[in-house]
Amino acid sequence: MQNPYIPYPVVVDKIITEVDTKDIKTFRFKFVNPEDEAKYAYIPGQFGELSIYGKGESPIGIASSPTQKGYIEFTVQKAGVVTTALHEMEEGTLMGIRGPLGNSWPLEYLEGKNIVIVGGGFAFTTLRSMINYALHEDNRKRFGNITVVYGARNPGLLLYKEELEAWSKRSDINLNVTVDKGDATWKGREGFVPAVCKDVAPSKDNAVALICGPPVMIRFTLPVFFELGFSKENIITSLEMRMKCGIGKCGRCNVGSKYVCKDGPVFSLAQLDELTPEY
Amino acid sequence: MEKRLIKKDALAGIAKKMAGDVLVWAPVKQEDNVLFKPLRADDEPFFAYLNSKNAPKNVFFPHTETLMKYTRTEKGMVFSEEVNDAPQSVLFGVRPCDAHSFVLLDKLFDQEKYKDGYYIAKRRNTTVITLACVKPPYTSCFCTSVDGEPVSSDGADILLTDIGGDYLVEFVTEKGEKLAKYFGDTQADAAADAKKNEIAAKAKEAIASKIPAHEVKPILDKNFDNPFWDTIHRKCLACGTCTYLCPTCHCFDISDEVTEVEGVRIRSWDSCMFPLFTKETSGHNPRTSQKERWRQRAMHKFKYYIDMFNAIACVGCGRCVMYCPVNIDIRKIVTDISKL
Ligand SMILES: Cc1cc2nc3c(=O)[nH]c(=O)nc-3n(C[C@H](O)[C@H](O)[C@H](O)COP(=O)(O)OP(=O)(O)OC[C@H]3O[C@@H](n4cnc5c(N)ncnc54)[C@H](O)[C@@H]3O)c2cc1C
Ligand code: SF4
Ligand code: SF4
Ligand code: FES
Repeated sequence: MQNPYIPYPVVVDKIITEVDTKDIKTFRFKFVNPEDEAKYAYIPGQFGELSIYGKGESPIGIASSPTQKGYIEFTVQKAGVVTTALHEMEEGTLMGIRGPLGNSWPLEYLEGKNIVIVGGGFAFTTLRSMINYALHEDNRKRFGNITVVYGARNPGLLLYKEELEAWSKRSDINLNVTVDKGDATWKGREGFVPAVCKDVAPSKDNAVALICGPPVMIRFTLPVFFELGFSKENIITSLEMRMKCGIGKCGRCNVGSKYVCKDGPVFSLAQLDELTPEY
Repeated sequence: MEKRLIKKDALAGIAKKMAGDVLVWAPVKQEDNVLFKPLRADDEPFFAYLNSKNAPKNVFFPHTETLMKYTRTEKGMVFSEEVNDAPQSVLFGVRPCDAHSFVLLDKLFDQEKYKDGYYIAKRRNTTVITLACVKPPYTSCFCTSVDGEPVSSDGADILLTDIGGDYLVEFVTEKGEKLAKYFGDTQADAAADAKKNEIAAKAKEAIASKIPAHEVKPILDKNFDNPFWDTIHRKCLACGTCTYLCPTCHCFDISDEVTEVEGVRIRSWDSCMFPLFTKETSGHNPRTSQKERWRQRAMHKFKYYIDMFNAIACVGCGRCVMYCPVNIDIRKIVTDISKL
């Protein structure tokens, strides 16, 4: 059996600088042993521990979709020791990833339902995985309408720009990209995510909202969804806590009786109400 | 299963004989403390001890442990070796509360979804010999309040009970029976059994410290925000002594140590009493003061572990009570919670 503490060896295949400020990059990895890719079968919403020998590990949401074969992607903001070391890496470098870890977006529950996806800042990563998964030709018919509201502070901070462009041309996704403040070339929406959600006003009927973003965005977005009539069961988010083991052993990431690494990171608001408000 | 009798003064000799064949962890005196140590030829095991200062959990879950090794190559560091060796061992003479702690740790490290191979390998290859407390060693012992007893085979492969001039040797599991050859050939009779039961009942009776550990779970379920939590942590120094000595505390850190060419990834004990334990890179800390940290400790032992594994994560050894430098007493905390 795979030892869950030992990473799969991967090679940095491609590095994409996502934003003007250059502190967010997407790393595309290939498994050194091709058979590991199947062992790393993941679901949108799960995360991995990026493992740099000599530096340590960081839990990072998986940004690619399992429908994208041959590689796996993570979008990482430069923050502390591990993420800085990662940002200094070059293509071709060897490192490791552990996982896949955690639960996932509730795919079975989402089946047959309309999905409303709301993301802010760089917390958009596992939502991007979900969108690419749902839009894939094998899966698209399993889900109803897909509505996306995605916001960043300014156009230079939007992630996955080429993909946003491609999605905007499709008729089977209602994409709403917004920036707090545009620039000379920006032709899209301006305004904060909560306001845009209010404007787009997705129907609560047979719908589930997946919401991820900075705490302020979440704080002002939730009331909008309550007002639209979404129940707490149908508002789903993903938590972050400091982590080490990622497998519910090291005792670090509990919220009440649940370990965010193992029982989460995805919880509905109804589930969070059952837990202690300590995160 | 089989029961035998051995002369009381034969015990140390048996441990030393075993130590010639396998790795034996036994209580030995070290300055003012008694600690479980791998018994070397010139060590004298000390079975007349009260309890070891440190919990013997380090036999399965060492204070620091190598998870993997790696080496530097031109293309970066590569994983080179998985370290996971566990020699055949005997843990000789642990107290029943500490043996009970292994059953609790198993629930976490050996659960269905993620198996902790490092812990499991050592646990599987180790035979636990429990030395019953015919007289509770400390006034702070409260095992009977938390599903334990001073004479108990819970978590043991072999149980030794002092019944006067002899030890009654009870082989509890097949793993224990495999060591039968070390314990002579005197079969125990019904009288020895009766004597043991009598001693066990008396020992249980002698536990004076009692806490309402089973009553507090429903209270904790509802009182996360009770002002009570503002009252218990004030003198806490955040030293972590309570968690390091505790037989059931299992929190750990993972870190890398590296030289020019090679390195190791290790895990080492950590503590929820430390401010940095939950601090995130952004600076956000879900547990901002010692209040939240103490609430976590109490909740983890008397609520969360029950929610997760249907067991209280305290075995009543009293170490945290005896060694907290500012006399914070988990027994009082639990008793006070029961009155909320
Ligand atoms: C489920 C999950 C998904 C995440 N997804 C992303 C993502 O997609 N992109 C991204 O840029 N960031 C993500 N993060 C945050 C990211 O894990 C931290 O920014 C990162 O661990 C910081 O590590 P560091 O070594 O650079 O910082 P340091 O401050 O040097 O951290 C030291 C160690 O502390 C731990 N740690 C510190 N902060 C956090 C934190 N917020 N969460 C978890 N562990 C922490 C890690 O083990 C880290 O290695 C996610 C966190 C979680 C829990
Ligand atoms: S909480 Fe205290 S009394 Fe209970 S097992 Fe841990 S150290 Fe012993
Ligand atoms: S031993 Fe006492 S002072 Fe030290 S962390 Fe524990 S409760 Fe606080
Ligand atoms: S990260 Fe270790 S328990 Fe969650």
